[in-house]
Amino acid sequence: MVLTADFSQRPLISLQHVWKRYANGTEALRDVELTVPEGDFLFLVGASGAGKSTLIRLLVREEKPTKGKIFVDGQELGRMKRRHLPSYRRKVGLVFQDFKLLPRLTAFENVAFALRVLGEAGRVVQARSKDALEVVGLSNKHDTYPREMSGGEQQRVAIARALVHSPRLIVADEPTGNLDPATGWEIMQLFLQINQRGSTVLMATHNRDIVDVLRRRVVAIDGGQVVRDDRAGGYHEALAASALRA
Amino acid sequence: MKLWRHLLFALNSAWQSFWRSAAVSLAATATVTLILTMAGINLLVGHTLAGVLDQYRARVSVISISVADDTPLTTVTDFEDQLRSDPRVVGVSYLSKDEALARFQADPVNADIARQIEGNPLAAKLEVRVGKLADVAAIDALARQWRGADRNDPTDYQGEFIARMLRLSAWLNLAGVVILFVLLLISIFIVMNTIRTAVYHRRHEIEVMKLVGATEWFVRGPFVLEGILTGVLAGGLALGGLLLAYRPFVDRFHSDLFFVPLGYDPAFVGELARDVLVAGALLGALGSYIGVRRFVRV
Repeated sequence: MVLTADFSQRPLISLQHVWKRYANGTEALRDVELTVPEGDFLFLVGASGAGKSTLIRLLVREEKPTKGKIFVDGQELGRMKRRHLPSYRRKVGLVFQDFKLLPRLTAFENVAFALRVLGEAGRVVQARSKDALEVVGLSNKHDTYPREMSGGEQQRVAIARALVHSPRLIVADEPTGNLDPATGWEIMQLFLQINQRGSTVLMATHNRDIVDVLRRRVVAIDGGQVVRDDRAGGYHEALAASALRA
Repeated sequence: MKLWRHLLFALNSAWQSFWRSAAVSLAATATVTLILTMAGINLLVGHTLAGVLDQYRARVSVISISVADDTPLTTVTDFEDQLRSDPRVVGVSYLSKDEALARFQADPVNADIARQIEGNPLAAKLEVRVGKLADVAAIDALARQWRGADRNDPTDYQGEFIARMLRLSAWLNLAGVVILFVLLLISIFIVMNTIRTAVYHRRHEIEVMKLVGATEWFVRGPFVLEGILTGVLAGGLALGGLLLAYRPFVDRFHSDLFFVPLGYDPAFVGELARDVLVAGALLGALGSYIGVRRFVRV
């Protein structure tokens, strides 16, 4: 069964009959259809091994689909040439469970790194990194190293780094997975603010409290298929749908 | 401006990466230094042997035709003209019996014999300089057919010696090329593996670079520069060692084996410096390029 949300806005992401089979024969995604309009906030839920991470890897073009098409902002990722990948990835802000900060750089340098690799001028790097840290509430932690920060602060730095390019799409893979519930909520507030500023947010999560309380769009994946797509759903309904399928 | 910032970033990253895994980098530098030293020795030995061979070549490319005592001078002049018009011949000179005796007596090696000589037993000579060593045999055959040549000892042609020298020269050239090729391959392999280690050490940074949209060459550039740095450093060290050892070694060798015309060639030092440093840089660049192509994919 394939379900898609009925939104009138222009889709930022569109997956059309996407299949992904790995070299070892594992079928990670099966005939997935999904449309994400610009400005949407979407939770991707499902058990471990359901196919969430594969979907994220396809969206950041770490992998190509075996069959089907993926469009992001009108670009078909499967046909995108490798030399165009960097410019595509600059449009997508990525946030991970393990933060992926560089330990020998300060908070400011970690954020600035995302601009330095693009060869931005020093004053641009300074101004935009400072702004990004201000957005995540870490103006006072410029010169602090990741080892000197809490998990929540590290995740904020990672979010600032994702925001510094002003991306239209933020993809987050279990961003609260390593955080205590209170800190997880703080991070979620940040994502909501980012979404309110106009960025589309797609977040894979196992945190049922967050999904249930926020009542945003929920897409449940099970066995590589989209089994539920609710405009304002909860985590339990998603699990129930998975159980029914089983 | 952007390019300049990228270059600065790459240089800075390469320098930091080199020293971050200092043990591996220095071990690779030492190994490549050793290999470039061996390659440099190979070049020096090759150059020196080429010099020695050139001297022998110059000697054996001149054949001396002994003129029979009863040959009229006009016959000699005619043959001299015939030889001069031959495109294989570079020069011909006539040495009369008296000049041949004077030259013999002037050589200190012949002092004892010269004192005992009565009259002039030496023949007049036609000294023929042949352009190519391979043509000496044909000129010798021509001389032997000439009716004015001394029947007992027509020429001083040393056919077997020349053939051996040509073979030796060809083998030495081939051996030099093979040794250089093997040494260069080993260097490339070592640099490639050093870069693999550097890539492993910096895997988190590479991952972050990819995620934030760094271009392929932005990620790869510092590694290629690190390879060039390793190669140039190794080239410099190898060159220093070679230059320090070259002259004393030649002097020592010359005093032990005085009969081998071995010499120090200051003009070759510049050529050697250029070759070793360029080889170091190219090896570093090539080894690291292959390394990053294999291990860094955006």
